[in-house]
Amino acid sequence: MTDLAEAAPARAGAAPERPVSRLGGLRSRRRKEALWFYLFASPWIIGFLVFLFGPMIASIYLSLTDWDSFTAPNWVGLDNYRQLLTEDPVFWSSLWNTVYYAAVSVPLGLLLGLWLANLLNKHVRARKLFRTLIYLPTLVPLVAAAMVFKMVLAPSGAVNDLLGLVGISGPSWLLDPVWVKPSLILLSVWGVGSATVLLLAAMKGIPRELYEAAEVDGAGSIRQFWSITVPQLTPIIFFNLVMGLIGAFQVFSQVYVLTRGRTQAPEDASQTMVPYLFDQAFAFYHMGYASAISWLLFVVILGFTLIAFRTARRWVFYETEVK
Amino acid sequence: MTTTATTTRTLRAFRATPFTYATLMIVSALLCVPLVLVVSIALSSDQTVNANTFTIIPREFHWENFTRVFDTSLPMGRFLLNSVVISVFSVLGQMLSSGLIGYAFARLRAPGKNGLFLVVIATMMIPTQITMIPQFILFKELGWINTYLPLIIPNFFSNGFNVFLIRQFVSRLPREIDEAAMIDGLGFFGVYRRIMLPMLMPALIAIGIFTLTYTWGDFMGPLIYLNDETKMPLALGIQYISSTSAAMQAPPWNLVMVGSILLTLPMIIVYYLGQRYLYEMDISGGSAGVK
Repeated sequence: MTDLAEAAPARAGAAPERPVSRLGGLRSRRRKEALWFYLFASPWIIGFLVFLFGPMIASIYLSLTDWDSFTAPNWVGLDNYRQLLTEDPVFWSSLWNTVYYAAVSVPLGLLLGLWLANLLNKHVRARKLFRTLIYLPTLVPLVAAAMVFKMVLAPSGAVNDLLGLVGISGPSWLLDPVWVKPSLILLSVWGVGSATVLLLAAMKGIPRELYEAAEVDGAGSIRQFWSITVPQLTPIIFFNLVMGLIGAFQVFSQVYVLTRGRTQAPEDASQTMVPYLFDQAFAFYHMGYASAISWLLFVVILGFTLIAFRTARRWVFYETEVK
Repeated sequence: MTTTATTTRTLRAFRATPFTYATLMIVSALLCVPLVLVVSIALSSDQTVNANTFTIIPREFHWENFTRVFDTSLPMGRFLLNSVVISVFSVLGQMLSSGLIGYAFARLRAPGKNGLFLVVIATMMIPTQITMIPQFILFKELGWINTYLPLIIPNFFSNGFNVFLIRQFVSRLPREIDEAAMIDGLGFFGVYRRIMLPMLMPALIAIGIFTLTYTWGDFMGPLIYLNDETKMPLALGIQYISSTSAAMQAPPWNLVMVGSILLTLPMIIVYYLGQRYLYEMDISGGSAGVK
């Protein structure tokens, strides 16, 4: 990040080519350049203030009030947070469901992606075809994907048909409080293609000599996978893990499309944090309460991200550290 | 793939066994079942759909379903048009603003810039839900509810991720190019317009694709800001159709699935046309970008 600041003085020497007094010219040029910078960056600065910073301050304030969005906000201090944490069982179940969803879907998606990428990295005929077939589902927009899964997971849908072929009578996925979370996870696993392609690209960058050396030492292909491929990929696995966690905690469309229609949704078993926040804000007009949920969501995401970074030191392998 | 030295034997890690093929075939088949089912339902007659007797592999071919969605009472054509309008302006906004802002952060010197860049990075960590409610209130005060504006306008101010992406991209370009152009008399905007913009195109196209993917499939934004069905984009529209059919009557799943296909096809086309730009960005975003 400091590369520019360091490079600047060295390069500035090339600047005063114009017929102005050297020092004064340089200074006015600098001022002009700064002006241009602020002019070019102004859309971002304005956008930041209007759409991000201002709303953030407003959100902190709102979270400390009781507000229905029609009458004036009523200051309640930390009461929203107290109520959420001590008196609201739906909040706790939405938190639990979100953690459950993130903790299963993200590692599962990564493991499957890693495994598939490894298979595609072999000398497979029609590799392009397989890659395309695996990647195709990720191109389906979430809402459309959820629509499809609504049909696939229906009591007499394709999944239960397939299970029937091997003699298993499947559950009523979306209507069953026990199976509704695995259903959401199944939908997320359907998009394993994006992780697969990313990991595959990274696998191609692993030096071949490492495998040759392992081969000489007599390591089998499974051993090579765990001792070379996986360690070499840990930085990108870590990146995917963090981004995946952040995304999973904000899951919304799938939950909304798959389990809305309150009459059939199993009681709170699929409620996650963002849909709960959305309900509180836009169905019940509890704007203050919803703002408090958004900050708790932030705290949860931050917490899990920090845990991921903490443990990363133990398992993420960076080439540069060895040199 | 194989270098001359290793053509004679394949390393164990790269050897494809029958197990490899079997696994790949089963996994691809499982992943594609839902897609085949979509096509099958989309081609089914209303009777088949109502009776729930469609099959995974299509048996009926009611291609007229694809034109029906445009002339029945379902405003699917309207939804599609709304999606196009919202997406085109959003993409345009991001491409116009991100390039200029990213260039400024990469090249121009100004007091306070490094601090400001830290803020750019920090903004990437704020979940959108934090600002969701105040933004809703802001747009309501502006009278923008039930218009496309809340979905389009913020894109003209770029965002942390895209500014960061462009800054990284510009930083890799040799400085001598724009210095030479300045000596030749171009101003900062001229350098951007004539020199930088053409070189930034791959990155801007990647940003355009990201923006399009996000906007085209976005569900929560339109759900919050639009309640008039004639203004809904397709993503919200198909959910609307699937959930608001009359009581005791099944939604027209075949038409909903046609809608899903309409929603998916542009993504497939864009991916195939744009994948080389995306892979270019993966390189800068994944390795050079993080360091």
